[in-house]
Amino acid sequence: MKNVRLIYEKKDRMRFVSHLDMTRFMSRMIQKSKIPVWYTEGFNKHIYVTFALPLSLGFESNYEVMDFRFDDDNYPLSLALQALKGVFPPYIRIVDLIEPQMKAGEIAFADFEITFDTSDKGFEKKLEDFLNLAEIKVSKKSKKGAISEVDIAPKIKAFSITQGENTVLKITLPAGGKDNVNPQLVLSAMGEALPEYKICRGKLYNEKMEVFK
Amino acid sequence: MEQKQLESLLLTVQKPGRYSGGEINSVIKDKTKVDVRFAFCFPDIYEIGMSHLGMKILYSQFNARDDIWCERVFAPWTDFEQVMRQKDIPLFALESRDPVCDFDIVGFTLQYELSYTNVLNMLDLAKIPLKAEDRKDLSPLVVAGGPCTCNCEPLADFVDLFFLGEGEEVDLELIDLYKIHKAKGSTKQEFLRQAAQIKGVYVPSLYDFEYNADGTIKSITPRENAPAVIEKRIIKDMDKVFYPESFVVPYIEIVHDRAVQEIYRGCIRGCRFCQAGFIYRPVREKSADTINNQAKTLCESTGYDEISLSSLSTSDYREIEPLLNKMLDWTQERNISLSLPSLRIDNFSEELLEKIQYVRKSGLTFAPEAGTQRLRDVINKNVTEEEILSTCKMAFKGGYTNVKLYFMLGLPTETDEDLKGIADLAQRVVNEFYRLEDRPKGKSVNVSVSVSTFVPKPFTPFQFEPQITRDEIRRRQEYLKSCITTKKVTLSYHDSPTSFLEGVFARGDRRLGQVILSAFKKGCRLDGWSECFEIEKWLEAFSECGVDTAFYANRAREYNEIFPWEHFDYGVTKEFFIRQNELAKKAVTTPNCRISCAACGANCYKEGVCYEKR
Repeated sequence: MKNVRLIYEKKDRMRFVSHLDMTRFMSRMIQKSKIPVWYTEGFNKHIYVTFALPLSLGFESNYEVMDFRFDDDNYPLSLALQALKGVFPPYIRIVDLIEPQMKAGEIAFADFEITFDTSDKGFEKKLEDFLNLAEIKVSKKSKKGAISEVDIAPKIKAFSITQGENTVLKITLPAGGKDNVNPQLVLSAMGEALPEYKICRGKLYNEKMEVFK
Repeated sequence: MEQKQLESLLLTVQKPGRYSGGEINSVIKDKTKVDVRFAFCFPDIYEIGMSHLGMKILYSQFNARDDIWCERVFAPWTDFEQVMRQKDIPLFALESRDPVCDFDIVGFTLQYELSYTNVLNMLDLAKIPLKAEDRKDLSPLVVAGGPCTCNCEPLADFVDLFFLGEGEEVDLELIDLYKIHKAKGSTKQEFLRQAAQIKGVYVPSLYDFEYNADGTIKSITPRENAPAVIEKRIIKDMDKVFYPESFVVPYIEIVHDRAVQEIYRGCIRGCRFCQAGFIYRPVREKSADTINNQAKTLCESTGYDEISLSSLSTSDYREIEPLLNKMLDWTQERNISLSLPSLRIDNFSEELLEKIQYVRKSGLTFAPEAGTQRLRDVINKNVTEEEILSTCKMAFKGGYTNVKLYFMLGLPTETDEDLKGIADLAQRVVNEFYRLEDRPKGKSVNVSVSVSTFVPKPFTPFQFEPQITRDEIRRRQEYLKSCITTKKVTLSYHDSPTSFLEGVFARGDRRLGQVILSAFKKGCRLDGWSECFEIEKWLEAFSECGVDTAFYANRAREYNEIFPWEHFDYGVTKEFFIRQNELAKKAVTTPNCRISCAACGANCYKEGVCYEKR
C-alpha cells in the first residue's frame, strides 16, 4: 500500500459539483482507469480517497489535491498518471501525480483569484481602499454555532488588483484546519452589492509559504 | 441567456448539478453540422429522469448518428422554476444550454400519469404553445413515447404524435421522415399525414371521437388516410438491438445510481393487474453472452461499482445461473457489486441467494401482492403461501433479518378477509423466523409490509373493473392497520389521493385534456411529489370542466364498450382480456407462457417465448 497525491484543476461546469459528489466521482474515475488501488476493508468496501482541502460549491480551482492509495507499491506513477489522464472529462485537467511530501494538516494558506465582471475604475478603487482598511470586522460562525466578531484585516496575507476588461483580485488568505477565511466572507464585509464575480482557488501553502506538495 | 448569468443563478438554487450538465459521457456536437436536433424531455426532475433506462438507450442511439444531436431536458425543481420565471430563462437542454424551443423535435417519455402536468409545465417554460393546434410550424414538433402512450388520449390536445411500443426503430424512422420534410419545407400537416403511415405512429389530430349520450365513446374515425388501427412496434432480435456502450454518469446522486443491464423484455407471468406484463409481450431474451459483454463494457465506460440486471422478473430469465457465473468472474475481481431486483418468491433458489451474497446485504423484497390464496388466484399471481414462507425461511437462514413484502389494496373482489390475510401472512413470516433454530443470533426480525393502491389499467384483464372510491381506500387502510398487532411488522401505505388521480387518467379520454390544462393553470405540477401535490386544485379543475371523476375511475365497464385505446393494437387481444376477466371472477389461474400458451394474441409477432423450443 502506497499513498499517492493527485493534483488537478477543477474548472467550468465542474464547479457545480459539491465536495461529497466529488468523492463519488473520483472513485468512479479511478475505477475507470483500472489502476490497482487500495480499497477500504470495512463492511462497505470502497476506494479510499481523501481531499486535502475541501472546495466550496461554485469555486473553480487551479490546484486541487486528492490522495488515494496504490495497492501495489511498485506500480509506476507515470503509468497511473497516463491512465488517469485518459478518463477525465475536459473540465478536469490533471496536473500531476506525486508521492506526498507534506501532510494535509500543514496547509496554512491559499491563493484566490476573484474575477469581477466590471471594468469600472470606481469599483477598483473602492475594493482597494476596503482591503487596505486597518480593521475589517465580520461575524463568523464557529462549528459549534456560536457567532463571534472577528477582525480579518490582519489575516489578509497579500493582495493585488489588476484591471482590464474585468477587475481581478488576487488574494492570499488563511486556509486549512487551524484558521480558515473564505474569500466570500471578505467580500461580504464590503457590505454593498458587488458586480457578478467568479472565484478560482490557486495554490495551497504551508506556514512557511512553501507550495503544498 | 448569458452563460455567466445562468451560472451565477445556478449557485442560488439547491443542487445546481441538476442543471449544470457537463457530465461524463454526455454528448457535445457542433450544432451547425447536424440535420436534426432532438430535445429528449423527461417530465420529472433530474434524479428521476437520469435513472431511466429507456432514455439512456435512445440518447445513445440517436447520438450514434452523425446527423442527429440528442440532448437531455428535465423538469426543474420548484426553486429553479421560480428563478427561471423571474429571470425569464427559457427551459434549456443540458448539453448545449440552448432553449428547447429552438429544437426540431421535442420528445417526451410518458412513464406515469402523474407526470402529465410536468409535460405542460415544461412546454410552457420552453415558451412553446401548449396546444398542438396552436403550433403551426413543422418545428418544434412535440412527440411522446413510453408505456403511458398505450392510452395517450388525455394528452391528445398537446402532443403532435405518439409512438406506440418500443422506440429503437420507429423513432429513427420518424426522424428520417422529418429530415426529408424539413428539407422540402413541408407544412406540419403534410408531414403529420405522412408520419401517420409509419407503423407505430399515432397522430391524434387525425382521429375523430364521437360519444354516446351516457358519455361513453360511440366511434373513433380516422381521417386523411390515417390507419383505423395503430399497431405497436416491437424489437424482434434482442441480441441485435442497439444497447449503449456508455451511460451519462451524473455528479449528483440520483435514484438508481448504477449501471443497468437489460436482460429481456416482456413477462411470462400474466399477473392480471400488471400493464407492463401485457404491453411488452412477447418475452424476448438477450443471450447470456450478449448481456455479459454489454455489462462489462458499460462498467468500463462509466466507472460504476454497481450493476443491476433489469427486466420485469429477473429470476424468470432462463440462463440466470450461467449468466451470474459469467458476470461474477469479473465483477468480484473489480469490486463491482451485482444487484438483482424483481426476484420472484416462487423460483428463488439457494444458489441464487448465495450469489447475491456478494452484494451488500440490505434486505430482500418480495411481492405476494395479496393476502389470501383466493385473491392471489384472482390476480393470477401464481404464488402459494408455502412458497412465500419457505423463501423467507431460506433468506433468514442466509442471515437476512429484514424482509419487505409488497401488497396491493383495492384489488377486484377484495374483502376485509383478504386484508386481514395480509396481516396474518406477515405474522406467519415472523413466526417462521423464530421457529428457525439457526436464525441470526441476537437479532430481531422485521417484516415491512408496503401497501399500494390498485389502479385498473388499460390493456389488462382488469381494464373493465371499477377502482374503489377514495373513502373506501381510506376505510380499508384503517382496517388493515387495525389488523396488525405486532411491532415486528411495519406497515406503510400511501395516504395521498394520487392513486385516485392516476385511476382517472389511466383510462381517460381526450376530454380530460381541458382538465389537465386547467389544473396546470392553477399551478399543479410535480404531482408525483407529495410536497407539491394539491388535490384541491385538481378537484376544482374537474368541477370547473364539468368532468365526473367517477365516470373514469369508479365505473364498471361493459365488455363491449369502446375504450379510448380501442384503436390501438398491442398484440394481446380484447377477447383474451375478457376471458381472463372471467377466470379472475372464478379465481382460476392461468399458467405462465412457458408452461402453456393462453392464446393472448402476442404470437402475431412471430418472436420470443411463443416460438421457444420446449
